Amino acid sequence: MDWQAFALTLKLATVTTAILLAMAVPLAALLVLGRSRWLAALEALAALPLVLPPTVLGFFLLVLLGPRTAIGRGITSLLGHPLAFSFVGLVVGSVIYSLPFALQPLVAGFAAIDSALVDAARLLGAGPARLVFSLLVPLARRSLVAAAVLSFLHTVGEFGVVLMLGGDIPGATRTLSIVLYNQVENFDYAAANRTAAILLALSVVALAAIYAGGRRSGGRYA
Amino acid sequence: MFNRSILCFLGLLCLAPLCAQTPLRVAAAADLEPVLPPLLEQFRQATGIRAEATFSASAVLAAQIQNGAPFDLFLSADLGYPKRLIDAGLADAAGTADSSTPIVYAKGTLVLWARKDSSLPPPSLDLLRNAGLKRLAVANPERAPYGRAAVAALTRLKLYDALKPRLVTAENISQAAQFVDSGNADAGLISLTSALTPRLAANGAYFVIPRDLYPPIEQGAVIVSKTTQRAAVHKLLDFLLSANVQAQLAKSGLTPVH
Repeated sequence: MDWQAFALTLKLATVTTAILLAMAVPLAALLVLGRSRWLAALEALAALPLVLPPTVLGFFLLVLLGPRTAIGRGITSLLGHPLAFSFVGLVVGSVIYSLPFALQPLVAGFAAIDSALVDAARLLGAGPARLVFSLLVPLARRSLVAAAVLSFLHTVGEFGVVLMLGGDIPGATRTLSIVLYNQVENFDYAAANRTAAILLALSVVALAAIYAGGRRSGGRYA
Repeated sequence: MFNRSILCFLGLLCLAPLCAQTPLRVAAAADLEPVLPPLLEQFRQATGIRAEATFSASAVLAAQIQNGAPFDLFLSADLGYPKRLIDAGLADAAGTADSSTPIVYAKGTLVLWARKDSSLPPPSLDLLRNAGLKRLAVANPERAPYGRAAVAALTRLKLYDALKPRLVTAENISQAAQFVDSGNADAGLISLTSALTPRLAANGAYFVIPRDLYPPIEQGAVIVSKTTQRAAVHKLLDFLLSANVQAQLAKSGLTPVH
């Protein structure tokens, strides 16, 4: 078992989930509460990572973030190194790749809230931030948990983007899914079975813990 | 009644291969991707036998054949994977001098490739010693034959330990080329077949790594033993080993075997 890759995978999934929630909550609120007709285009754009095969998405990111584009050059001069083949690069790739998985549950959850409550809060003078954090988020707590769980698991299992963007560097970009793939490719099926079993077992434990927490604090969950 | 119709159906299934020639399915190493399709077209024109190629890393193809993939011929980029299939009783080289040894059909050439617009000097062994070389792309040495050759050459040059932190490992030789072509890596150790493709030839320059620095990249072919088209497979093998085709291989970056 490659514990370095295991720790890296958990770190990547945690950082990605935190960034995704911070991005997806305001974005979902905007999509649900907003009136502009451009929001439909924005929602479609945010769902696009679902369409592209992950390796293709990874390839586009490799080119886009590389030093041959203005964006890539800007990032390189900012960070001092190109994004590809680095942990930060994987975070950027993962955030884009898992965005729909954070956004969709939140949009569905926010949209299910009785609009009378939203109108009442507005009438009583609640600003957008208050509306989101005191009304929408508490009422859609289940969706928030779902968004977090899906983002986390989707990042843990992410393979194509990491394969294209990572360069398989131990401690920086070699995640568990890459280790697992390498073991299978090298015909080391016994090691691959062990890695897969540990990954699955830990995922079940982590999920059970999250769902148990959801039940306790919510009194009634799912 | 029902049983009889099933039997009829199964009978027809057995006859089907006799009626229409199913194309030969060739599992081919990634470095053959720029080379093989025109050759297969020539083969079809010469013999009337259609052959279709599937390209992937040699290790991936070997694993697929091990698990029953319906290929007739396996063109690996090394001798290890075909040999492994022979030892497992899944492939053979029947009809040749030694039926338990893969048939060498070409040899690969390792080159150092970099983009022309790179800020570093053009590819040479000195480029590998240049401190400005921050990222060097190689194919995965654990399974890609060119990756193994790259590590062998770097070790031989006593540069491997110094360069190791700067290596980025690609899934196969095409991806290693992609890492460099997209500007994310400064240079890459790739196959001459990739370096000679129109895109890479236009964008960059290559330096042939001296052959005494790495063990020869001998590329072996084996017949997948459960093929139903053994005669056609032998025709294709003879075609690939013919003087005419071997001369064409030389132009696309592979070294002929004779």
